Amino acid sequence: MTRLRAWLLAAALLALAIPFSPTPATAQGIPQNIPRKELLILENPEGTIKNAGWFNIWAINAGSQSNGLQQAALDTLWYIDPEKGLDGPWYNSLAADKPVYNADFTEMRVKLRRGLFWSDGVEFSSADVKATIDIQVKNANMRFSAVLANNVASVEAPDAETVIFKLKKPNSRFHTNFTVRWGAVWILPKHVFDKVEDPAKFDFNKPVTLGAYTLHSFDPDGKWYIWQLREDWQRTSLGSLGKPGPKYLAYVDPGPPDKRVIAQLNHELDVIHDIAPEGMFTLAKQDKGTRAWFKGFPYGHPDPTLPAVIFNTQNENLKNRDVRWALALMIDVKAVSMAAYRGAATISAIAVPPTGIHPEAYHKPMEAWLKDFEIDTGKSKVKPYDPTVGKQIAEMLRPSMGDQIPSDPAVIGNSFGLGWWKTNVAAAGELLTRAGFRKQGNQWMTPDGKPFVVRLMVEGDLRPVMTRAGTMIVQQWKQAGIDARIDVAQGTLVTRRAAGDFDSFIGWSVETWGGHQDLSYFMDSWHSQFVAEPGKPQPLRNWQRWTHPELDKIIEDIRKIDFDDPKGVELGRDYVKLMTREMPIIPLMAYNVFTAMDQTYWTGYPTSDDPYANPVTNWGNSRYMFVRLKPAN
Amino acid sequence: MNAYLAYFAKRLVQFVVVVFIGVNLAFVITHASPIDPVEQSIAAVTSFGSTAPEAIAAMRSSLQELYGLKGTVAEQYVTFWSRVLRGDFGPSLSAFPTPVSSLIGRALPWTAGLLIVSTLITWVLGNLLGGLAGYYQRNRTLKLMGVVAMGVHPIPYYIVALMLLIIFGFLWPVLPITGGSAMNLQQGWNWPFVSSVARHSILPALSLILIGLGSWFLGMRSLVSNIVTEDYVVYAETAGLDSRRVLGSYVMRNALAPQVTGLAMSLGGIFNGAVITEKVFGYPGVGTLLVDAVYAGDYGLVLGVTTVSIIAVSVGVLVIDLLYPLIDPRVELR
Repeated sequence: MTRLRAWLLAAALLALAIPFSPTPATAQGIPQNIPRKELLILENPEGTIKNAGWFNIWAINAGSQSNGLQQAALDTLWYIDPEKGLDGPWYNSLAADKPVYNADFTEMRVKLRRGLFWSDGVEFSSADVKATIDIQVKNANMRFSAVLANNVASVEAPDAETVIFKLKKPNSRFHTNFTVRWGAVWILPKHVFDKVEDPAKFDFNKPVTLGAYTLHSFDPDGKWYIWQLREDWQRTSLGSLGKPGPKYLAYVDPGPPDKRVIAQLNHELDVIHDIAPEGMFTLAKQDKGTRAWFKGFPYGHPDPTLPAVIFNTQNENLKNRDVRWALALMIDVKAVSMAAYRGAATISAIAVPPTGIHPEAYHKPMEAWLKDFEIDTGKSKVKPYDPTVGKQIAEMLRPSMGDQIPSDPAVIGNSFGLGWWKTNVAAAGELLTRAGFRKQGNQWMTPDGKPFVVRLMVEGDLRPVMTRAGTMIVQQWKQAGIDARIDVAQGTLVTRRAAGDFDSFIGWSVETWGGHQDLSYFMDSWHSQFVAEPGKPQPLRNWQRWTHPELDKIIEDIRKIDFDDPKGVELGRDYVKLMTREMPIIPLMAYNVFTAMDQTYWTGYPTSDDPYANPVTNWGNSRYMFVRLKPAN
Repeated sequence: MNAYLAYFAKRLVQFVVVVFIGVNLAFVITHASPIDPVEQSIAAVTSFGSTAPEAIAAMRSSLQELYGLKGTVAEQYVTFWSRVLRGDFGPSLSAFPTPVSSLIGRALPWTAGLLIVSTLITWVLGNLLGGLAGYYQRNRTLKLMGVVAMGVHPIPYYIVALMLLIIFGFLWPVLPITGGSAMNLQQGWNWPFVSSVARHSILPALSLILIGLGSWFLGMRSLVSNIVTEDYVVYAETAGLDSRRVLGSYVMRNALAPQVTGLAMSLGGIFNGAVITEKVFGYPGVGTLLVDAVYAGDYGLVLGVTTVSIIAVSVGVLVIDLLYPLIDPRVELR
C-alpha cells in the first residue's frame, strides 16, 4: 500500500504540473502571433458558426453575418446611424449622394462614388450594383431575391457611376433596401460571381471585400474570425473618413454571459455585444476600464427597438381597445423595469423607441398632449399619463446605486425615459365592465361567462430579460383579477408569432432607424392589406394583426412623401396618437443592449457623451467606431 | 461454433430492428416539431431591414420548395431513408446548402476526442480506485476517496464546470476557458495546434472526469465488496495466494463484466455529445450542433445527429453482446 500511495501522489503532482506549465498569457483566448495592441476583439453574438467557411451572404440563411462580414468586409450604397453619426446620421457610402426619385417614385437614380476598389484590385462600378440585382432576381432562391424581384422592373448602368432602377410600382422608400440600419442588400463583386455557375451554392471563400478589411483567418469550427486592415484602406468608403485604428479585428464566440464577463475582466474581449444587467453591474464594479454607453446607470445602449406587450387583436377578447387599455392600466412599469433590467431600462409610453432622434422628434414634443390625454371609462374620466415615472425609477435606485444615478433631470429623462401610465386598477375595472366583462369574486369573467384568460408568451432562457418583464406583468395582471399565465415558447416563438398562435407576447413590432425620424421602416408593413386571416402566417411586422382605417391613411400618406420630408414627423405623431388611443401594443421600454467596452487596449468608443456611432457589435454600422478607436497608452 | 453463429445472427437481427425503430422514431419526432424551419429562415433573412410583406410571401414559397418541404410526409420519408442508406442526410436547413454529413463530420472528432478520452480515463480510474477501495476496506486514503466520490457525485454537473471556470479561468487564470484550440493556429498535426487542443481540453475533460468518477468508483467498490466474501476468494486467500493476484485475477476480473457493459453504453452514447460541457466551455462538438438544430427546426441536421447516435449506441451494445460469451463463460448462447 505504501507503493500505491506513492503512485497516487506522483500522479497527482504530474496532473498538476502538466497543465499549468505554460505562461498564463499564452493560455488564454487571444489570437496567436498578432500584437495585442493592433487587435480589437469583439463578440459575435451569433455564437459558434456551423458552416464557418461560408461567406456568401447573398445565399439564404447560409453562413454568419455578424462575424465581421457585414461590419468590416461588405459595403452598400448608404448607411443610417441609429445615433448621431460622425457627421450626421446619414452616410453616402458607395453612393456619391442621396437617391433621386422621379415624381411618382417609380424610378430611382443613384450616382456612385469613384475610386473605390475591391480587395483584389478591381475597381467598383455601377456594373457591380446592376449585377447584385440581376443575379438575385434571376436566382429566386437567394437572400434578397424576393425583395428585389418584388420591386425592380429593370436596372440600368448607363455609365460606370450611374445606376437607374425602374420600379414595378411607386415606392418612395426603395432606397432603404440599400441603406444599412442593422444590415442591408450588400453589393456583390460582379467579376467574381460572373464566373460562378450557381451563385446560391457558392461559398465565396475567401471573400473579395469592398469594406476596409479583408479576411485574415478563421476557425473551421466557427469560433473565431480575424480580419485584417487592407493595405489600400484609403480606397474604401470607410477609409475616406480616416484610417481605422485596429489593424486586426477578431470576432469571437466567447460563450455564455458569465464567460464574457470573465473574458473582459481578463482583457481578452474588448467589446461584449450584450450581457445580463447583473453582468454589467459586475464589470462596472470590478473593472474600472470598462465603459458602457451610459457612464453610470442604466449603462446599456437603447436600441431603436421597442419591446412591448403585443396583443393578438384577432383574439375575440382582445379586439376591444377598452380591454387592451385595462390591461395597460394594471401594469406598474417601475416594477417591470426592476424585474427586467434591475431598473436599467429606458421606458417609453408611446409606440416609438426612446432612442436616437426620437426623444426630440416624438417623446418631448408630445409630452403636453400626453399630459392632457384622457380616457373615458364610462364611469369616470382619467388622465393616465404620469410624466414623472422615469424620475421615480431613478429615485428608487438612488439609495442602492448612489453616484451612479444621475441627478440632472435632462440626463434622467434621456437615461430612464420620461413618463408612463399610472397604475389604475379601478379605472381598468371600469373599462372591463364597459366591455361587458364582470367580476366574480376576485376573478374577471368574459362577456360569455368564462374566466378571462390571457397567456403572455415569452422566450424563456433565450431572452431572459424579456422573460423577467413578462413574468412580472403576468403577476400584476393576476393580482388585478385576470387569469394570466406565462407561456414559455422558447425556440417556437418565431413560428408561433407568425402563425398568430398567442394571446399576447413580449416582443417588438416597432423598429426604427433611430437616427432618422421616418417610421416607414416598420409601419409600412402594418397596412391592412398585409394582415393575414386568423391561422394564416403573418408577414413582418404587424404581429398584433391590428388594422385601423386611420393607420392605413397615415401609411398611404407617408408613401407619397419623400423620406426626408418634414411632414413625415407630423404623420409619425398622428400615428403615436392613434396608437395611444387604441393600444394594440403596450409599449414598455427600449431594448437596452449592455455593450461593455474595455478601455485597456483601445479608447475612443462611442458613448452617450459622444454618440458618434452604435457600438453594438453585430450592427453593420458599428464599423464607424473603427475610425475613432485609438490604441490606449 | 454453430451455436455462436446462431447467437451472432440473432443479435444482428435485433440490432437492425433497434436501429430501424430508433431512426423511424427520430423521423416522426423531428417532423412533429412545432418549429417551422421556413419561418426561422425568414426571421433570419429579413432581420436586415424592412422587407415588404409580398416579398416575404414569395420567399416563404421559395423556401418551402428549396428545403424540400412541399412534398407529402410520405415522400419525405422515402427520400430520407434513401439518403440514410447512402450515408447522406441531405442539406442542413439552417446552414443551407452545406450537407449535414459535413457538419457532423466536422463536429464529431471534437466530441469523440474529448469524450472517448475522458470516458476511458474516468472508467479506468473509477474502477481501479473503486476496486482497491472495495478490497482494501481499511485503507484510510481509499476511505477518504470514497467520501470524496460520494460528495462530488451528486453535485450538478454545471456547478462543477462553473467552479472550474471561475478557479482556473478567473481566480488563477492559467487555463483556457473557451474553444477547442487557441485562435489563429493552423489546424493539423503540428505541435502548436496539438498542444493547444490538449490544453483547451483539460477543463472540460476534468469536469467530466470529476463528475463521472464517482459512479464508477462507487459501483466498483460495491461489486468488489460483495465478491470478496465469495467462497472462491476466501479459498484463494486461505490458500495463501498473493493479495495482488487475488485482487487482479479473482476479484476485479469478475467484477468487471457489468462495468464493461456500462463502458460500451457510455462510449456509444458519446455521439449525443455533451451539450452542457460544450456550452459551458464553448467546446466544439455535436451536442451544440444538435441543440442549435432543434431550435432552428433543422430536421435534416437533427435526424443526422440522432441517427448517428442511435447507430453508435446500437453498435456498442451489439459489440458487447457479441463479446460477452467470449469474456464471460457464464453467459449462455441463447
